[in-house]
Amino acid sequence: MPEANMEFLKREFFKYYYENLDQLVPPGPIKNREFGFFLDKSRGMLRHKCFINLDEFHNFVLNEVPLDIYVSAARYEDPSNRDMQEKKLISAELFFDIDAEPTVSESEESAWVCQNCGKYDLGTEDKCPVCNSPVERAEIVNENQLNEALKEVKKLVEVLRSDFGIDENHISVFFSGNRGYHVHVDQEEFINITAEGRREIVDYLLIQGFEEKRIMHLLKNRSFYSGDLKGIIGRIYRMILEAGGDKIPRNKRRILKQINEIIEEFKVKVDPVVTIDIHRLMRMPGSINSNSGMVKKRVRLQDLSSFNPLKDAVALGEGETVLRVKAVPRFNLGGKSFGPFKDEEVELPAYAAAYIICKGLGEYVRR
Amino acid sequence: MDMGENVLRAARYPFLPEAREFVSKHIDLSLESLEKTGSEAVLKRAVERVKDALILKEVRVMPQHESNYVREMLSFPIAIILVSTIANEYIRRIYSLGESRGAYKRLLKESDEILLLIGEKLGVRGVMDSNNLIRIRIPTYLNLAYIFHEHRWKLVNRIVDKGYVWVNRMEYARLIQIEINNYVYEKTLETLPVTAVPQSFKEAAKTIVETWSRLEVARPGYAASEEKGGNPPCVSMILKRMMAGENTSHFERLVVATFMIAKGREIEEVVELFSKQPDYKYSITKYQVEHLAGLRGGGKKYSVPSCRTILANGLCHPDENCRGIKHPLSYGGKNARGQYGVS
Repeated sequence: MPEANMEFLKREFFKYYYENLDQLVPPGPIKNREFGFFLDKSRGMLRHKCFINLDEFHNFVLNEVPLDIYVSAARYEDPSNRDMQEKKLISAELFFDIDAEPTVSESEESAWVCQNCGKYDLGTEDKCPVCNSPVERAEIVNENQLNEALKEVKKLVEVLRSDFGIDENHISVFFSGNRGYHVHVDQEEFINITAEGRREIVDYLLIQGFEEKRIMHLLKNRSFYSGDLKGIIGRIYRMILEAGGDKIPRNKRRILKQINEIIEEFKVKVDPVVTIDIHRLMRMPGSINSNSGMVKKRVRLQDLSSFNPLKDAVALGEGETVLRVKAVPRFNLGGKSFGPFKDEEVELPAYAAAYIICKGLGEYVRR
Repeated sequence: MDMGENVLRAARYPFLPEAREFVSKHIDLSLESLEKTGSEAVLKRAVERVKDALILKEVRVMPQHESNYVREMLSFPIAIILVSTIANEYIRRIYSLGESRGAYKRLLKESDEILLLIGEKLGVRGVMDSNNLIRIRIPTYLNLAYIFHEHRWKLVNRIVDKGYVWVNRMEYARLIQIEINNYVYEKTLETLPVTAVPQSFKEAAKTIVETWSRLEVARPGYAASEEKGGNPPCVSMILKRMMAGENTSHFERLVVATFMIAKGREIEEVVELFSKQPDYKYSITKYQVEHLAGLRGGGKKYSVPSCRTILANGLCHPDENCRGIKHPLSYGGKNARGQYGVS
């Protein structure tokens, strides 16, 4: 990253953290958490960091102005120990990651950069037309994709509540600041589930390893009052009964097909690796995501439907900033629409300038 | 419930908290005093417990044992001491299996009331519902049931509601069995001051080791494998036999195939492993491997059997890297560094 870009980002991030330090509170107890930071893009992550209290952590953030801040979902007896076993796990919050899937259709919504020859343009190219090497796509996520992810979040919250019996007060939903959502669960019993147990939760959410023959059996006998049948099995069984009305399909292949369709609809598309990995570092709530310059923002459950990530998670200032851009597809941010731009000098609010810089599509010129 | 019944139950299930309490209240359990108080009978019974586990894979507790309840209760902590003195991973595992298996069989004969009481005392709290099913908390269930690899144990195939999962009596007893197994195993891992072990104990431990070697379980190569992230010894041993063209059992093949699939090997690579089997037919093997990988039939991917299941099938030959792990896929990963990601 060019130095001017880095200086600009650090300046803007510093201002944000200085003003919003009270928002930057890690899950407790702070002395049992491991922290990780990206201080600049070229170096690897600084991890195994540990702080005695909030002041020490805040001082570190204001001094170093990290590009990204992470904290462990786990509590450890010795979080700064470099050996994962020696950290001595106490417990770990359940952590779910749901990402929007980028589906680019219009060429105006996409841009690419060739890492080999430096060529760039708007469009949906996979290979560089000049040197034929694979290109890097600029990752612009739009409202529709984020809405799809939010639907999954709502499904997840519902399953956590109704099937797992988790209290609403122990479910926290966050916009990750870039492409998706994080859901944290800190209810006492659930933080002690082993990695293997978490794998089962993931399989439950993704409906993996489901035995269709149980449904077949139920359909054949119809012995069970369907209202008594709770959980995934019950939901699938009731859907088939409802869809069939009086006529229950007898053809085995048709039922199987129907079951698979229902599974597709019911499954909650969480990233399995994230939930199973008990030692995972998660982006710190209230911190800036250096892939976008937006903030990882808490969304209250009652606000899930009205939340607008591309507006509500904008963190940086409005100050006019001049930028030389390469190729930037159209994007919406802070309630405004920007771009598409190509090979031009543009004047943008700082938050939009930071967004372009974070995506690697422009260079800072002046304020 | 009178005192007598409680004591008999504590003798039948010596890992219950009340048995531990009884032992610590009534008897001085320091090693020197045990040596002195003429506890030959206790030591003999303790050896019997471990040998039962080694030979029968089940520690029997007969009425005549129960009636001699002091000896019975004491023999359990002594057996633990013997097993941890021997410090052999296989004996640790087979002993925990034997204790838990014996307990499981006894549990099935108990009334519902007692079954639930014992479950509760061991931290596997259950509530009997009107439909004769027992409901337990999901976290409790998950931390025990993952060990089973049959699909019916998967949470996705259970009745689940508001934080509870429903199991039948037999399944409930199985979960308690796992809890007992874990408890006994953890106990055998606790380290003892080696110098404090009396001579009579050392001799008793020796007879256990002799029994074990006579059972031909002992094999060379118990040293910890150098290669981190390599195959666990159970898988390596099956592979070795397969390479030598020896005919292997259905279960052995299942272990190898599911393990290799889980490790991300290509189907063709996995099929190739079976090519020296006397009954090898490419097309059939390929079909079966694909089936296990979830590429055929119902699309279900078969999971790798747990250490317990492998042990119960007589295929567990643990090395020091197996210590504390419950699943072959965890082998070698325990101290792996720098593998963790961020989100």
